[in-house]
Amino acid sequence: MNTFNKRPSSVFMSLGVVVALGALAVGGWRVMNGPAEGPAVPAAARGRAVTHAQGTTVVPEAPRRVVVFDLVALDILQALGVEVAGVAGDQFPHHLAPDADAKYPRMGSLFEPDYEAIHAAKPDLIVTGGRSSAKYAQLSRLAPTVDLPMSGANYVDTVVANTQLLAGIFGKEEKARELVTALRQSISALKETTSTRGRGLVVLVTGGRLSAYGPGSRFGLIHGDFGVPVAAEGLNASLHGEVIGSEFIREKNPDWLFVIDRDAAMGQQGGARQVIDNELVRQTTAWKKGQVVYLDPMNAYLIGGGLQAVKNLRDQVADAYAAQAGRVSGP
Amino acid sequence: MKAFAAGLALLVALAGVSLLVGVSQVSWGALFSPTPDERAIQVLVISRIPRLLAILLVGTSLGVAGLIMQMVARNRFVEPATAGTAESASLGLLAATALAPQLPVLGKMGVAAAFALVGTALFLFVLQRIPLRSALVVPLVGIVLGGIIDSVTTFFAHRLELLQSVNAWTTGDFSTVLRGRYELLWVTLGLTCLAYVAADRFTVAGLGESFTTNLGLRYSRIIALGLVIVSLVTALVVVTVGMIPFLGLIVPNVVSLLLGDNARRSIPWVALGGAGFVLVCDLVGRVVRFPYEIPGATIAGVLGSVLFLHLMLRRDARVG
Repeated sequence: MNTFNKRPSSVFMSLGVVVALGALAVGGWRVMNGPAEGPAVPAAARGRAVTHAQGTTVVPEAPRRVVVFDLVALDILQALGVEVAGVAGDQFPHHLAPDADAKYPRMGSLFEPDYEAIHAAKPDLIVTGGRSSAKYAQLSRLAPTVDLPMSGANYVDTVVANTQLLAGIFGKEEKARELVTALRQSISALKETTSTRGRGLVVLVTGGRLSAYGPGSRFGLIHGDFGVPVAAEGLNASLHGEVIGSEFIREKNPDWLFVIDRDAAMGQQGGARQVIDNELVRQTTAWKKGQVVYLDPMNAYLIGGGLQAVKNLRDQVADAYAAQAGRVSGP
Repeated sequence: MKAFAAGLALLVALAGVSLLVGVSQVSWGALFSPTPDERAIQVLVISRIPRLLAILLVGTSLGVAGLIMQMVARNRFVEPATAGTAESASLGLLAATALAPQLPVLGKMGVAAAFALVGTALFLFVLQRIPLRSALVVPLVGIVLGGIIDSVTTFFAHRLELLQSVNAWTTGDFSTVLRGRYELLWVTLGLTCLAYVAADRFTVAGLGESFTTNLGLRYSRIIALGLVIVSLVTALVVVTVGMIPFLGLIVPNVVSLLLGDNARRSIPWVALGGAGFVLVCDLVGRVVRFPYEIPGATIAGVLGSVLFLHLMLRRDARVG
């Protein structure tokens, strides 16, 4: 009897669920289609089409309220002298405004945008890139959004392309040309210095483990753009590098060892020095000559593709070479 | 006895091979020639021998810890890591990294070990308050507690952008073992010996509480001793090289399948099997992508899951 009683109600239940799902689907479909008819059309009337990593967006002339979801973009915009209306993230490298906390309204994190805050900020342009690229679709419904591509094999070329893209939007082409020319010149000057001063190896330290990176990798600019000859041939361009032991470093015996301390996300020195300072690494030429360079983790890891970050990295490497040379000094 | 000697000989042969595998060239010829290659000896002393010792210590102690856990919990599918200890050690490492990044490696080990002990004490405390109606409750409590501790770790690691680091140190990997960086693991040898001394008690405890009490033994004390050994071993392994999955599960199970549940008889075999398992995993990890490495824990995960499935199906066929 009991089961007989239950049957009809369960049928009604499932019917109800089906109806509810149907209603949701229709509603969802409306929401999906709603915004597309809205802001896109009026914006198209006055603005320029910008082609970026995820398509083409019509951006208003000289946007004034820019919300930035990428440290690389923030870095470049700051170099160009563009003020922003809001940024995402918790930590900012020193060179990207020591007063960042007071200066910028927060728009959530790079991975989780705070949509209410963005709505309140009324942006006329949103910039995503790198870690926030995945949120492009959602953010582009709120305002015209431009997505910067990640730094690829041609590292500095990507930085230049991103700089020119953003400069175009804000009419800062002149400034961009200056910055890019200066960057290119300083890098080619560095290249002349590095090419004759021995082979280098890039190693990332995290959680006490070592991994090596080669040309074309996320730290490939050391070899490709800065011109440091490769100490370990055959390293692929994988995102997380190759797990190695200290024996590998000793065997490749680099003249220059570039260390990125991933754990030092706070901008201080992390545990990398202890990991690197061991009996095997001490036998390398790099260690004996004092040519172990701890790259600024913020510049190297967090905002690798920023114009200022690349310039800072170049300066750090140039300083290291100059300090060792005495006679052959980098500019 | 003969079989054990054969197993031991096999392990020694594997160990010999392991000393020769690596990025730097080391060969027996170079070592024992009249004019020994100084570089080869250096590599051997600084890197290869410490790595081999670390592998053997981790393998034996984790295997024995797994055996004890299974006897104490009277559950075949319990692992040492299911006491919240590994998670606590990981949280301790995170705290040390975030608050005192300049702390020497030994200091960080100390902090992590202290956290692990506190976590285990908490585990024991919770166990005392909960009626243990089923042996399954023990690992379940551990898993729940571990999950809670892990969520705290994840929260802070996420905030401090150290998630990847946490991931790195919870994955067992012997690539960074060097002279001066693994010595804490020798403590596990003492703990393994302690387990051997107390082996008969664990065997009895494995037969149940009332049986143990009838023999005039303090059941709760044996359980506590077992858990302390298990958690200390786990903590030491986690802070030095990271966790090796499946080891504590597979090796004791295979041994008990072959030899039964007498701990005094099976501990030497479990120690041997554990050492062999880790050694093989590490060797494979070193060779597959030479001159780069794949963490031993990754290999153990692949090998282990296959063996584990095989074991489960086999066991079901026999018992079920």
